[in-house]
Order: sequence, then C-alpha cells, then structure tokens
Amino acid sequence: MFRETLIGAWSLLVGMKVTLSHVLRAPVTSQYPRERIEMSKAYRNVIRLIEIDEIGSHDCIDCQACVRVCPSDCIKVEGERPDGMRKKRATLFEVEFALCSECGLCLDVCPTDTLGYSREYDQAGFRRDDFLYDLLDEWRDKEADVRTRLREDEAKKAAAKAAAASKAAAAKKAKEEATAAAGDTGDVAVEGEV
Amino acid sequence: MMRPKSTMELVPGDDETYYLNMGPQHPSTHGVLRLRLHLEGERILGAEPVIGYGHRAHEKMAENRDYLQFLPNTSRIDYLSGMIYNLGYCQAIEKAMQIEVPERAEYIRVICAELNRLTSHLLWLGTYLLDLGGFTPFLYAFDDREKLLDILDSVTGSRLTYSYGRFGGVSMDVDDTFLRAAADYCTYFRKRIDEYHALVTHNIIFRHRTKGVGVMGPQLALDYGVSGPCLRAAGVARDLRKDEPYGIYDRFAFDIVTAEGGDCFARHMVRMGEMEQSLNIIEQAVGGIPDGPVLAAKVPKRIRPPAGEHYFAVESARGHFGMYLRSDGTDVPVRLKLRTPSFVHVATMPVVLPGTMLADTVAILGSIDIVIPEIDR
Ligand code: SF4
Ligand code: SF4
Repeated sequence: MFRETLIGAWSLLVGMKVTLSHVLRAPVTSQYPRERIEMSKAYRNVIRLIEIDEIGSHDCIDCQACVRVCPSDCIKVEGERPDGMRKKRATLFEVEFALCSECGLCLDVCPTDTLGYSREYDQAGFRRDDFLYDLLDEWRDKEADVRTRLREDEAKKAAAKAAAASKAAAAKKAKEEATAAAGDTGDVAVEGEV
Repeated sequence: MMRPKSTMELVPGDDETYYLNMGPQHPSTHGVLRLRLHLEGERILGAEPVIGYGHRAHEKMAENRDYLQFLPNTSRIDYLSGMIYNLGYCQAIEKAMQIEVPERAEYIRVICAELNRLTSHLLWLGTYLLDLGGFTPFLYAFDDREKLLDILDSVTGSRLTYSYGRFGGVSMDVDDTFLRAAADYCTYFRKRIDEYHALVTHNIIFRHRTKGVGVMGPQLALDYGVSGPCLRAAGVARDLRKDEPYGIYDRFAFDIVTAEGGDCFARHMVRMGEMEQSLNIIEQAVGGIPDGPVLAAKVPKRIRPPAGEHYFAVESARGHFGMYLRSDGTDVPVRLKLRTPSFVHVATMPVVLPGTMLADTVAILGSIDIVIPEIDR
C-alpha cells in the first residue's frame, strides 16, 4: 500500500515535469481574427474560374461536364455561341456554395482546366443567398473585348488556314499535272516497247 | 409508427431502481448517442444504446448516384478516418474493375492512410483524457494532431473530408516538402510518445480509472464481431493490414500490437502502440516511394463494375470497414452495404456496461472510440 502511494506520487511528479517543460515553449495558438494564417497551396474552397493565358480570360465553353458530375447539384452553367466563333462562351455560371462539398470532382472533369479554388476562407452569411456565387462577375467587364479578340484570332486563323488550304490545293494541282505529263510520256514508252 | 422493440423492458413498481437517459446531448458521448441506463444507485443494471440521431442515409445515397459521385460521401462516414475510408472505397472499385494503380500512388496512399490513423488516435487520446478529467493531454494531443492535419492539408487541401482518392490513383501528386514533413513528423512524434507515456500511461489516477474497467474478453469480442484496437486489446492478433494485406501493406515491416485484459487500459496501450507502428510504416514508405504517375492511364471513362457481388475491407482506425457492393453492370450500384466497426462496438455495450458504475460508463464509452456518424451512417 505504502509502495503504491509512493509510485503514485512519483508518477504525478513525472507528469508535472512534462507539463512544466511545456510552460516555456512558444504558444501554438494563432489569435484569429487579429492574426490570419496562410492557407495551404492545395486549399479547397468555393470554385472559381481561373484565367487561361492564351484566352486572357476564363475558358468556360459551356460543356456542362462539371454540372453533370457535381454530386451536390450546385453548379448552373448557361452559354451561347457568339457570332463568328467556333467555341461557346459561358453567359451564366452560378455556384450554390451552401451545397458544395468541396470534393473537387468538377475540377477533374473540366476539359479546359479553367476551374480552380478560391482562396477565401472565412465566408459567413445570414441567408442562403449569401452563398450564391456568380463566378462570371470578375470577368464580365472584359468579356466584350475578349470576344472581339477571340473572333479576330479565329478569323486570322481561318484566313491562314484557307490560305494554307489554297496553297496546298495549288501545289496538289501542280503535282497532278506533273504526274499526268509524266504518265503521258510513260504511256508512250510502254507502247514503244510493245 | 412502428417502434423497435426495446431489449431492456421497464420494470414497473420497483422503487429502488430508476432509468436514466444519457444523451443524446451529453458532452462525453462525442455526438448524438443516447444510452438508456437502468440504475440502482450508481450501479448499472442494464444499458441500451439508442442510435440513429445522426442518420444520413449514406447507403441509400449510394443507390441514386454514380460511383464517382459517391466518393465525397466516403470521407464523411467516419470523419476521423476520412482518408482511410476514401481510399478504401477507391480500392474496392479498383478491385471490382481490375484497375491497376501506379506504384507511386500506392505509396502515397499508405502514407496518407497512416497519417490519418495517427490523427484519429491522437484525437481519441485527447478526448478520452478529457472524458476522464485531464485537460492538459487534450491540448497536447490536439497540437500534435494539428501538425498532422497541416501536412495532410498541404496535399489534399482539406483537413477532414479529404476526397483525395480517385479510381486508379490519387487526385494530386505529393512533393518533396510533403514527404520531408511526414518523415520529420515521425522523428518528432517518437519523442512525444514517450512524453504521453510519462504524462498519461504511468499516471496513477489514469491507471486506477482504466485498469479492470469495461472488460471485453476475447470470446465476447469475437462473438460480436468486434475489430480493430478493441479486439487486439483482448489479445486477439487480427489486423486486416497483415491478415489480408490490401494495397501494398505486405511490403512493410510492422507488428500487430496486442494487449491482455481487454479493459480500457489495454485499449489505451494498443492505440499507443499502433501509433508507433504507423510511424514505422510511414518511414518505410517515405524511404521507398518511387517516381512516376499518380493516376492510372487506363481508367475506363464510365465506372461500371461487372455485374455481381464484390466485397472489400480495409482496416480503419477503429477496425474492420467493409464494403459489400452489388452491381448490375450499370453506372449506379444496386446496393452498397457499409460495415462500420463502431456500430458493432456500441452493440456490445448492453453486455459490457452492466455491473459497472455510472462514472465508468464515460470511461468505457470513450475507450471503445466510437464515432457516431459512422454508427448511424
Ligand atoms: S467541388 Fe464538388 S460539390 Fe462543389 S461544385 Fe465542384 S463537384 Fe460540386
Ligand atoms: S466543365 Fe469547365 S468548360 Fe465545361 S461547363 Fe464546367 S467550367 Fe465550363
């Protein structure tokens, strides 16, 4: 009995020693909101449209792949095909973040890789509408310019393609004529041999 | 309304005994679990867990969405072993469809799953000590767990609900910083384990409150289908990672930690030992991780496991997590039954609790490490 008391008291002292060793360590708590910590590189939050270099804007082509894969049914995308353009452009992109589970499946399926995560982290709201995100908001004022430029690019590309095609056709024709001519002489030669 | 029949009938006209509802809102049940206790003074005569308060119909949800869309659900069944469940589900589908997983992804999976097991055991350690009245270890354990969550966060972008696995690999590659952080953590945490032993395991109050309390013998454990640390604490060396190695667990050297007695103290010792084993596995995996892709190149676009029945099980932090899948060859499962360990563990309570004191209920309930959403699913 006496032995157990001694061992018990000793065990408490050992415990005390551990806690004492912690007294002098630096505190680990960060004092939010006065202090804000940096989110990790892979941090996931509400999705956003990210800029694609060669477009100079987002590149959502309204393919509906993300809408279809989303398990929570929280994405709504609408789009149109602007005159003179081959690809579509999104005209509406809404995410109901209150439903989103941040699973990242939509990022995986996007064919143009134009989806990414926002880096906000302390969204709070009083109503459900506060979490209805309009992802096109940040791109809207640039959209007209982007379309003009894309259209020009596409026209240029089409022109270049047409030029290349006509050149190719001309080259082909020339070649055909040449072979035809060669064929004529060949025929003659064959006849001559007989 | 049909009510499930109670296994514990009220005894009318008895002045000496009474009934007490512990929960569904009780700080020590770690969630919405209700225990109906039949008491005589402080002595427990009968106990009956009443579950279902956190039911979210995960199994039903699996039946009305395709295989990929169920993926986010898997880290929410047991939110403390989200990674293990998540990767386990991917492995189940891969096994059914015979998808090859690249080497690097297999190693990443092992590292992440073991890190996840550490976070789960650390949370258990902290809250268990809190249940028993010790506040300090709780803060230490959460600090250590926070470091782990930061490591996992740096690659998955999330702290609990990872959704990191994909059919045929994982969603993101890890970098050297992650691997170094995982290896450094192992070195750091080995020292911490000694501190925990000094602070907790050798503590005389802790020993008195846990030794010989809540005994779950090997026979009882096997009869009920108890698994994981609770089973190993009863002296039965069963661990799916060793017995039916899935993934690449057969390549690593580690021991199955067992203890004798099956009481709360034995369960504590098993979990502490398991943390050390997890560190061993992580170190070996970090040392041996090859370069290469992390997602298989040939994953079918449509996930359609062949018609028939498939079963796959992994060792979660709590025990045997099994998935029984019935497929008819379409995009949507006919049935996905989830076998979760805590459900079984809480079912032993009517046998384990009677005869103990009310104050020990908290110690016993804490020691079996239940996660309520996983019981209710
Ligand atoms: S992250 Fe998941 S839940 Fe959120 S919008 Fe994308 S697919 Fe839907
Ligand atoms: S998957 Fe990408 S391109 Fe398609 S609709 Fe969604 S955001 Fe737009």
